[in-house]
Amino acid sequence: MARKDKLSLAQKEQRTAYKLLIPALLILALVAFYPLFQVFYTSFTDKVFASGTDEAPKLIGFENYKSLLGLTVMELPKVVDETTGEASIDEDTGKPVYERAIRVLPRSPVRYREWFQFSLFGRRYVVGARDPEFMKAIWNTLVFAVISVFLETVLGLGVALVVNSNFRGKGIMRATMLVPWAVITVVSARIWEWMLQPTRAGLFNTVLSKLGWGDGDLSFLSMPALQMPTLIAVDVWKTTPFMALLILAGLQLIPRELYEAGRVDGAGRLKQFLSITLPLLKPTLAVALIFRTLDALRVFDVFQVLMGNRMYSMASYNYYQLIGNRNMGLASAIGVIIFFLIGIFAIIYMRLMGVDKE
Amino acid sequence: MKKNNLIWLIGKIAFWILVIFIFFYMLFPFYWAVNSSLKSEAQLQMTPATFLPVNSEGRFAPTLQNYVAVFNDGTFVRALWNSTIVAGLTTLLALGVGSFAAYAMGKLRFKGKKLTLYLILSLTMFPQITVLSGLYAVINTLNLGARISLILSYMIFTLPFTTWVLTAFFKELPTEIMQSAWVDGATPFQTFYVILLPLTAPALVTAGLLAFIAAWNEYIFALTFTTIAPEARTIPVAISLFTGSVSRQVPFGEIMAGAVIVTIPVVVLVFIFQRRIVQGLTAGAVKG
Repeated sequence: MARKDKLSLAQKEQRTAYKLLIPALLILALVAFYPLFQVFYTSFTDKVFASGTDEAPKLIGFENYKSLLGLTVMELPKVVDETTGEASIDEDTGKPVYERAIRVLPRSPVRYREWFQFSLFGRRYVVGARDPEFMKAIWNTLVFAVISVFLETVLGLGVALVVNSNFRGKGIMRATMLVPWAVITVVSARIWEWMLQPTRAGLFNTVLSKLGWGDGDLSFLSMPALQMPTLIAVDVWKTTPFMALLILAGLQLIPRELYEAGRVDGAGRLKQFLSITLPLLKPTLAVALIFRTLDALRVFDVFQVLMGNRMYSMASYNYYQLIGNRNMGLASAIGVIIFFLIGIFAIIYMRLMGVDKE
Repeated sequence: MKKNNLIWLIGKIAFWILVIFIFFYMLFPFYWAVNSSLKSEAQLQMTPATFLPVNSEGRFAPTLQNYVAVFNDGTFVRALWNSTIVAGLTTLLALGVGSFAAYAMGKLRFKGKKLTLYLILSLTMFPQITVLSGLYAVINTLNLGARISLILSYMIFTLPFTTWVLTAFFKELPTEIMQSAWVDGATPFQTFYVILLPLTAPALVTAGLLAFIAAWNEYIFALTFTTIAPEARTIPVAISLFTGSVSRQVPFGEIMAGAVIVTIPVVVLVFIFQRRIVQGLTAGAVKG
């Protein structure tokens, strides 16, 4: 009798659990799983958006992926001077002149455009891509993610160490750290856009020209050499405090006694930091790093607001293909590529968190 | 001894310089936005840029005209309203549905629990951008209004998060409370409503705030799904596309005024609930 009761109670519990889970799972099925399936499927079709024709999209296999990721490497031959029969030399630089990439790269059946050139063992090569814009978008995103996450971690660690020490005004500092995090990313991008104006109406040009750098007309957002550093600076401002908060929480888990023991043993500040703080902070740092990397790999807001069509991240290229070009098949393939790239990082993240260990 | 004192003093000064530097670094862009929002069009174009809203004679002369313009501009007020509705309802839905699921996962025994946990956790890391085109297709097929579409699509990042935070919280509640309620004849549903839900209030506040801020911030879905529905644009979209009513150039004065207006309420919220937010942010990352 008692056993039967128990059994029915367990069954009841199970049934209640399923009922409680249904709404969440239904919503997630509608907004995450089904669209994900749809994206995978569409990525193999030539679907365009609102094409006006009644033609159903055709299955085209891996064509979208090929047109996004297709690469080729060609050697650039030296230009031969017709009169002397020798390789011609650029008179200004004294270096040999190579054939122009556009004449070397294949044009049919599909066209490859120049992505970048490199030299190896005295020969000159060109890397052609079927979609150099997307290749650059991947490269930009990776560079952005690696450098900004690295800087945010180092600076975040510094800020966290400062705020973790005892001083008056600690509470105010901690509250202040939440301000950049709480500002809408688009809003912060526009504030920076205004500070970075290419005239002395902008803060940076005013200050830099006073310090003697530039004539007050540096255009941070359109000069290729300044674009990436600017984007990273904007992101670092916004996200360092978040990193610092995560690291601060980790620091506070380290028992004070360890430092006292270290002092008794005659360890200096630096020694304490290297042999106590850093090792014990490792799990926190690792998780924060990957957490932020996942976030940085899907960066959209700063690229879209500050760069528009001048420079793409993977996400903003996806948006451009979907809304600008109405190319749903291609946009879906980009989505899938991003999914796998981020998935790899996410798996590492799961391993580090050790969720299966309960 | 004297030398030690000197080192101590230098260390102290260096430390405070560092603290002040960090303080300014984090607040300066916001200060610049406030400063610029109080300048007139002419003051904004003055070179070099001034650190206070001053007129051509160098006298302090702030103006509220940007704020007036922003509030008279229907686009901004409507965006403010849209954002409030969208972020508010997103939060309520994510908390309601999330707390059901979290109760099941945190306190009840059922088959497939581990799988569900994995599913939710992997979704907290799900790259929303991946499903952009798929969601766009779903929304077009279902022919939903833009605001409803936004609320639904924001479930991708808010629901797994609220569920995860609340599950961790439910797990820590003593099981005895629940069992004694069952012994008294309460159904699992009643136990949830009457006994457990009130206990989770602090976690609800934390998860709710973070969900609200995430929804308030969201840009790519809002930009995509309001392409053909300008009346449903939220704050981030409106501010990124802001062209102003009169001026020919990009109206940075008005944009800065808008930036200040939308930032202040969130900053106030953040200051009030500081501790809870930090707890929520670190819950997943450190405790894990």
